[in-house]
Amino acid sequence: MKNKSLKALPLMLPLLLLTVAAQAQDAADGGSNPYFYDNFLFWSLAALAGTVIVAAIVALFHLLNVMVKVNQIRIFQEMGLEAYEKEVQKAKEPFWDRMYKRWTDAVPVEKEQDVMLDHDYDGIKELDNSLPPWWVAMFYITIAFAVVYMTYYHFTDAGAGSAEEYEMEMERAEKAVQAYLATQANLVDETNVTALTDAAGLETGQNIFNANCAACHGMLGEGGVGPNMTDNYWIHGGDIKDIFKTVKYGVPEKGMIAWKSQLSAADMHKVSSYILTLVGTNPPNAKEPQGDLYEPQADAVEQPAADSTSTAAEPEDALGMNK
Amino acid sequence: MAQVEQFQYDNAIVRKFAYATMVFGAVGILVGLLAALQLVFPALNFATAETTFGRIRPLHTNAAIFAFVGNGIFMGVYYSLQRLLKTNMYSKFLNEFHFWGWQAIILAAAISLPLGITSSKEYAELEWPIDLAIAAVWVAFGVNMFGTILKRRENHLYVAIWFYIATWVTVTVLHIGNNLEIPVSMWKSYPVFAGVQDALIQWWYGHNAVAFFLTTPYLGLMYYFLPKAANRPVYSYQLSIIHFWALIFIYIWAGPHHLLYTSLPDWAQSLGTVFSIMLIAPSWGGMLNGLLTLRGAWDRVRQDPILKFMVVAVTAYGMATFEGPMLSIKSVNAISHFTDWTVGHVHIGTLGWNGFLTFGVLYWLIPRIFQTQLYSQKLANAHFWIGTLGIMFYSIPLYWAGWTQSLMWKQFTPDGFLQYGNFLETVTQIIPMYALRAVGGALYVGGYFVMLYNLVKTIKSGTFQAYEAAEAPARVATAGAHKGEHWHRWIERRPVQLLIGSTIAILIGGMVEIFPMVMIGDQVPKIESVKPYTALELQGRDLYIREGCISCHTQMVRPFRSETERYGEYSKSGEFIYDRPFLWGSKRTGPDLHRLGNKYPDSWHYNHMLDPTSMSPGSIMPVYPWLIEDDLDNSLLPAKIAVLRTLGTPYEEGYEEEAIADAEKQAAEVAARLRKDGIEGDNLEQKEIIALIAYLQRLGTDIKPAPQAGN
Repeated sequence: MKNKSLKALPLMLPLLLLTVAAQAQDAADGGSNPYFYDNFLFWSLAALAGTVIVAAIVALFHLLNVMVKVNQIRIFQEMGLEAYEKEVQKAKEPFWDRMYKRWTDAVPVEKEQDVMLDHDYDGIKELDNSLPPWWVAMFYITIAFAVVYMTYYHFTDAGAGSAEEYEMEMERAEKAVQAYLATQANLVDETNVTALTDAAGLETGQNIFNANCAACHGMLGEGGVGPNMTDNYWIHGGDIKDIFKTVKYGVPEKGMIAWKSQLSAADMHKVSSYILTLVGTNPPNAKEPQGDLYEPQADAVEQPAADSTSTAAEPEDALGMNK
Repeated sequence: MAQVEQFQYDNAIVRKFAYATMVFGAVGILVGLLAALQLVFPALNFATAETTFGRIRPLHTNAAIFAFVGNGIFMGVYYSLQRLLKTNMYSKFLNEFHFWGWQAIILAAAISLPLGITSSKEYAELEWPIDLAIAAVWVAFGVNMFGTILKRRENHLYVAIWFYIATWVTVTVLHIGNNLEIPVSMWKSYPVFAGVQDALIQWWYGHNAVAFFLTTPYLGLMYYFLPKAANRPVYSYQLSIIHFWALIFIYIWAGPHHLLYTSLPDWAQSLGTVFSIMLIAPSWGGMLNGLLTLRGAWDRVRQDPILKFMVVAVTAYGMATFEGPMLSIKSVNAISHFTDWTVGHVHIGTLGWNGFLTFGVLYWLIPRIFQTQLYSQKLANAHFWIGTLGIMFYSIPLYWAGWTQSLMWKQFTPDGFLQYGNFLETVTQIIPMYALRAVGGALYVGGYFVMLYNLVKTIKSGTFQAYEAAEAPARVATAGAHKGEHWHRWIERRPVQLLIGSTIAILIGGMVEIFPMVMIGDQVPKIESVKPYTALELQGRDLYIREGCISCHTQMVRPFRSETERYGEYSKSGEFIYDRPFLWGSKRTGPDLHRLGNKYPDSWHYNHMLDPTSMSPGSIMPVYPWLIEDDLDNSLLPAKIAVLRTLGTPYEEGYEEEAIADAEKQAAEVAARLRKDGIEGDNLEQKEIIALIAYLQRLGTDIKPAPQAGN
């Protein structure tokens, strides 16, 4: 045992030196760091302390070894040679075998007659093996866990309750989002949004539309529960800025969801732009126009004849979506 | 020495329960397979009320737990009890009453659940008349068991019988406690407790139904049939004693782990957590005593299919009882709860522990009572491997699905949005896993039919021995302690004291948790704006219960950013004070509904119930055309109002007289809104869908700011 510990020493020393070197490297990186020498001093002391600890461990092992030997000698003196040899044999048993025996404390199958109880239930016998020590230890650990847990959360103010935990989570998230947004320039909002025209953006917009909007506005924008998006009549304005705003904040009292908590600004930008491309597509089963006629300023879309003649009648709104 | 007496073991009752086990096992797992397939192919709901998932799922759980495992318990108890006590059963009449009574209850469940007659409380769905019948049959079983114990020839009670006794007393207490309800009619009742209190009592019951119906009686069976089959002595008597008492004492406390992060007060949640953790060792005590009993017999495990089944059963028990406490740690539960992880977890227990132990017992017992050999060891081995593979294919995909879905629910984009804002995305993602799970289920079913064939062949080749001659010396009652005996021997000679001791052990936990919740008012802070449901909303709520919406939808927004972002403000205990029963649910196959009110127009709900895919393309929710075709039955409404007022809901005096008119008035308003959206239909205002919409639009709105009128 003594030899083993001594062999470990040269192994440990380079390891220790390695950590010191790594720290020195860190310090060197910050070459201009005025605290370099403070750190150097600190790490030198730490290295010294480490060496002392290793030396202490070696000494303790040595001491332990001596104690084992002394015990064996005592056994020899008190109980004779046979007991001594048995003891020496036990010490030679591999560590894991000894641990296994200690922690299971099971009487081997060959010797089970020694712990056979005189119970006999319809031929079923019972052994009197003791409780497995590892099992008992586990039981105690779980009980200790319970005591610590209840103390931490309920008998002291240390642990956060569910509601408090939630507040903390929201605060952390808010900070993280703000920090992220600070790194993002030119965020799109309803004041600066312009209609996208690139095919990729519009295709994403279409996917978003199909997944989220089609349920109420129809797969082709023809309308359904919600109003028709393919005509030139808009309840809340037909400009890209208006559409973006309607998507973003919704019209909750009429059933239109505010999407700002579910779609990012970029996604709302894409879907709003896609919606604009639906105007004038004349899908089948289109819902009757609702809202006010909106004339696009620049690239005027030709207006369906039917719509231009029906402006006189206030468009009827099945959902109560007109004011 | 006392004189040796001759008597006969009654195998006829054992055979009856064995047959019932074999038949209802097939029913239970086939219905389960149907439910699994419905999640992959919604068309398998057949657009018919009786075959729709929400009604099929409770049918599956009840058939598997009470019909299959229930009959399995009785089969094993009636076989082992007589032999462990060296006597025949106390009363032939009670044998028959117990058997036929239990089968009648199963029949009643099989009819009433598809009809939508349900209390909606998980594993306690059956309505009050059936509850009473269960109580009567259970008491008959108890009398028969104790009668047998009292006339025993064996002086001491073996550990298996301790477990039988604890099972009997605890199931009695749980069944009564969780079914305190006041009838409205023959097939409708409301529970005495509401909201949070109802939730706590339900999961005190639900958790301990697992403990004392699926676990303790099966531990009793293990303690008899495993040493018998292995022909080995039980490993440790001391371990039996400690793990028995620790198990029954600690188990009862752990119920609140089903309600972590809900509106249940934190102190109760914490008790659920810590007692679940402390449950690991007592549970493993049973596993260890089972597995270590096989020391010296492991060479036989390789050949003997019976031992194989038992080894996997006990191992599955050990795995499930370690996983359970892990799932009770709040941070793990935050991931697992409401997902398929839980479903995977319970099926390790049911398919592995209960299923495989039952199979082992059947393979062992049937040849014995038919005085023959098992028809084919080869087929039994085949069953073992198919079944084991089935369990793997069942559970691994569900663990995967649970993790995947939970992580998707919680995923935020860096700019603070839910990555998967549309709940449906998180469902379509895991449908392949649902398909694999159904494959696992099909394998398990396949193995089961291999067993049935094997057992039927065995039965045909043997001759049944209805009465098996036995002899034993008469019991000489001994008073006082025997010198040098273990202290626990004392109580093993005294069944009454053992009964009282286990009753005290199982009462403590429940009392400590339930009494303060029910008796101390400030456990549930009042919210001024929370009002009782209107007559029509109440009717809609009862439809929600009837259709088993709770099978897939929760009504409990937990205090997580990912949930408040998706659903709205987290649920408060004060919101549920008029909820009889509570409808928090335990699984989100679809999204949470607690803040559903005012989220969509009425017409959205109408179209969605008619065909969910019209509003949510790709949805796996079944269609509910009958809600649109059938007229709402308001005849019970006055009685419902009266019962709820008796229970404490502050309906004005005389409201029951106006209730029907009030419901019709509100229905007309809903119908008018639907018509405005272009939904046609004769007598639209009289249809069931109207009441359901009224209820759904009310959900969670008591503390949600109402949308402002105008623009």
